[in-house]
Amino acid sequence: MTDRANESMVVVEREMIGCPVVHLDVSTPKAAGAYWDLADDLRRTGDRIYNTLAQGFWMFTDYDVVREIYQNADLFSSESFTPWEPDPVYRFVPTQIDPPQHQKYRQVLSRWFSPGAINALEPRARELCRDLIADIAQRGECDFVTDFAIRYPTEVFLTLLGLPASEADLFVPWVEDFFGGFGGDPDPVKQEAMVAALGGIREYWVAALDERRGEQEPREGDLASHLLHAKIDDRPLTDSELLDMLTVLVLAGLDTTRAELGYLFRHLATHDADRQRLVDEPALVPNAVEETLRFYTIIFGDGRKVTEDTEFHGCPLNKGDMVYGLVSSANRDPNVYERADEFVVDRQSNPHLGFAGGPHRCLGAHLARKEMQIATEEWLKVIPNFHIATEEQLFERGGGSMMTLLSLPLAWEVPS
Amino acid sequence: MKLSVDSIRCMGHGRCYAAAPDLLTYDDDGYVLTRGEVIDVPEDQEDAARTAVANCPERAIELVAD
Repeated sequence: MTDRANESMVVVEREMIGCPVVHLDVSTPKAAGAYWDLADDLRRTGDRIYNTLAQGFWMFTDYDVVREIYQNADLFSSESFTPWEPDPVYRFVPTQIDPPQHQKYRQVLSRWFSPGAINALEPRARELCRDLIADIAQRGECDFVTDFAIRYPTEVFLTLLGLPASEADLFVPWVEDFFGGFGGDPDPVKQEAMVAALGGIREYWVAALDERRGEQEPREGDLASHLLHAKIDDRPLTDSELLDMLTVLVLAGLDTTRAELGYLFRHLATHDADRQRLVDEPALVPNAVEETLRFYTIIFGDGRKVTEDTEFHGCPLNKGDMVYGLVSSANRDPNVYERADEFVVDRQSNPHLGFAGGPHRCLGAHLARKEMQIATEEWLKVIPNFHIATEEQLFERGGGSMMTLLSLPLAWEVPS
Repeated sequence: MKLSVDSIRCMGHGRCYAAAPDLLTYDDDGYVLTRGEVIDVPEDQEDAARTAVANCPERAIELVAD
């Protein structure tokens, strides 16, 4: 271990098939960036590590192995993707459905989130972004996370689903409460809040579906209505399937882009040359977005459940065991990337796993990267120079729930 | 040079048609349109084709020299 090793990670002096054993809880908030340092430490510790947290699970740190776990859905089931909780209280569709059934649900959703659909949304998304920035710009300061990074993707997402943007006031607190418990924090208050948030989201969709049920034609541009008319295996979706699909879309669509935007803008606020480069060469914004998704990936790791007894890269796996592919380590694997430990604003070769891989590749990937590109382009046009407006340490949420900055105070000069 | 996309491995990340927009495009579901096919790469698109390969997270794209 390096001297940056985290105090919550203790390498036990015990041999398990010759691999390191740790006890590592990834639910706790840490100083911003600490989870990537931790991932680097883990990669240097070994390519496979046993974590004694909860019932115990295997962690893998190499890019190639993490991708293999994603791609081999026959051996690695998505029934649970939280390795510390093999039997979660929620069931997300299609997130927790394995092939071949998974593909049927994805087909119902994929066009809604396809590049064509997202390109059609772009003019409205850009307009929403400009309005928000115009409000903020004259203030000369903001908390980027709460004033922009959560509001912007939420408004775009609600527009894409055909819901009023004002529903953000309902959805944002639910999403916060859900991720407060999802990352494995054993605090009963956090766990109860997570369950209550799931209940709130579910009730919202029950009412929305009831309002739309029985209509002859699907409402134009209304995802809930579209799903009521959709079929899989020549039958309509059940209420339970509809609710499980709509719930995960809310959880995945609002929080994640907020998180990536926070890290991207923290980087731009602290790296003047990169910021100026994007002001001068906006064509590089897509490269910067992909590099953010690699270097500042918000997925610490992704869990899967083993479907049969086998040996995998020297580890004896039993059916029902959990594995954890450390995406934060894989995305900085020096065997894959040149200058892996640097943010390279114009990186050309970047096969990152920031949107996962295999059949469960992020459904919203095209939406997320478009939102990030628009936000960066429009912000830099209006506010080309800005800095972090605090001397205090910034903090991030625990990696078990996907990392996100809890606050990012920014400031800039307002032309008089 | 020829470029082939493995129809099983391709998951519709969209990195290839972003890297090589004059060579590749997408279908209605966001997969590369020529998934499962082998296409000819014009000489002026060879660099773009190499960038597409380098950015595929699934290693679904292969280049074959003529």
